Amino acid sequence: MTTNATSALPTYMTAKGFCLTSGFWMMVATFMGLLGATELIAPDLTENIGWLVFGRVRPIHVNLVLFGFVTPGLLSSAFYYVPRLLRTELYSEKLGVITVLAWNFALVTVVVSLAMGYSQGREYAEMIWPIDMLIVLAFTLVFINLIMTVAQRKEPILYVSVWYVCAGIVLTAVTFSLGNVIWKPNSGSLVGIPDAILLWFYGHNVFGLLLTPLSAGVAYYVIPRACRAPLYSHTLSLFGFWSLLVVYTHIGTHHLLQVPVPTWLKVISIVDSVAMVIPVMAFLINIWYTAKGKLGEIHADIGAKFVFTGTIMYFFVSIQGSMMALPDVQRVTHFNNWVVAHAHVGVLGFAGMISLGGLYYILPRITGKPLYSRFLADFQYWLILIGVIGFTVVLTIVGLIQGNAWLNGETVYRILPEMHVYYVTRASIGLIIFSSAILGLYNILRSIFFNPGEIS
Amino acid sequence: MYFPYFITYMAVGFVISLVVFLWAIKNGQFKDQKRARFLPLEDELEPSVAKVSTFKRYEVYTLLFLALAGLAASGAVLVFSLLNANI
Repeated sequence: MTTNATSALPTYMTAKGFCLTSGFWMMVATFMGLLGATELIAPDLTENIGWLVFGRVRPIHVNLVLFGFVTPGLLSSAFYYVPRLLRTELYSEKLGVITVLAWNFALVTVVVSLAMGYSQGREYAEMIWPIDMLIVLAFTLVFINLIMTVAQRKEPILYVSVWYVCAGIVLTAVTFSLGNVIWKPNSGSLVGIPDAILLWFYGHNVFGLLLTPLSAGVAYYVIPRACRAPLYSHTLSLFGFWSLLVVYTHIGTHHLLQVPVPTWLKVISIVDSVAMVIPVMAFLINIWYTAKGKLGEIHADIGAKFVFTGTIMYFFVSIQGSMMALPDVQRVTHFNNWVVAHAHVGVLGFAGMISLGGLYYILPRITGKPLYSRFLADFQYWLILIGVIGFTVVLTIVGLIQGNAWLNGETVYRILPEMHVYYVTRASIGLIIFSSAILGLYNILRSIFFNPGEIS
Repeated sequence: MYFPYFITYMAVGFVISLVVFLWAIKNGQFKDQKRARFLPLEDELEPSVAKVSTFKRYEVYTLLFLALAGLAASGAVLVFSLLNANI
């Protein structure tokens, strides 16, 4: 079942669809983030507008960033590089387009239902059961298309990027189904501590077993190509892949060190969180040695520039994550804005950067024309880089203020004036990121539909 | 009672991983690793999009500074938090 059987060149409709999906929902998601940040400094801003209160805006922001912006961006690259690495065509472009449509339909229902107040009230797993099923369906369609492409491959060896993207989809389907307790449609949850344990396996692994493998897959494809150099070590990359599977699957409970979950489970989560250094460094050493002496080539390609910067952010966020799992560190850093800073480095700085990098890398190749504007992409790069660094600094400071106040028994309202200036800065940075999303969407739209560039 | 769900989660992940790992060994996925390094490059390569000489040094320095600043800030706050944790 190959849609392109009659045409000489692939159409890349699926990849284009996911590019557009990522660009559009990045704009909506970052606007929701900006709105939420503004409400934190001006709580009356959306007074009496029920569907725009912070409690509804925040989950919309989080879920759209995850499933609307970053994942589709990474999938757009995957739908380009998986067939190429396997020397075959995508199993079905038609199925791919249906997947894009289903994915976007699911995202619309996410926004509408959460804005209407239909929520399961579980962080990162707020969506109600019918929407959970839509998301599972979308992932299933992606998996069928990719695994059938693998099955019809002409290249016998699976390059590490293919391993990562297939594992990411399978693991997410398992994690999502269990984490959202889909066998209990009425509540979507268990009761008490067991629910917390299950939720945080999902809450952490939806990043660690979806965004991380998909991002690693893009980096392993883009960096060698941009550098025109072979991967430093494919064996090391496979070692990193399998060690990620072993280590990352058990660390969710490090979100629950300060609640009464079994000690043995806490110990596993802490040990594996620290052990994350192994797959992380295996990945980074491999990528950075591949790029050694080739920074000029990386700079010359805007996609590779985004991706390479994402790997630097991965270093920061991973080391930080391992440290944050230590109970003594966590006594100060947990339950406050430190974690929000950490999440922004991970999701925007690492996975978001690589998502955009992969997208900009493939755009000229799937359209057959140069990127509409390298300048706009460069500008977006710097806006996001400044935004991520800004978020990190500002939210880390606020987190320390909150953490120390908590530790010292200080009353919450007494530290609010201290935090205010940082919250204003945070909203300003949110504006920068939202602006960059608009530029990005414009660039993507022009590159695909209204591109005056010469056909290569 | 949390054990059934937790054990199910770990068991499903473990079984899938083990099956795929055994398939990979049987299928020779861990052989010929030297050729695998070149797989992304076996595709046709596009002409160079820019010369290396256009590399803007100041941009690298800025990136390096931001990266080091981020590292220093992370290190400083970690030390700060540890010192104030009343361990």
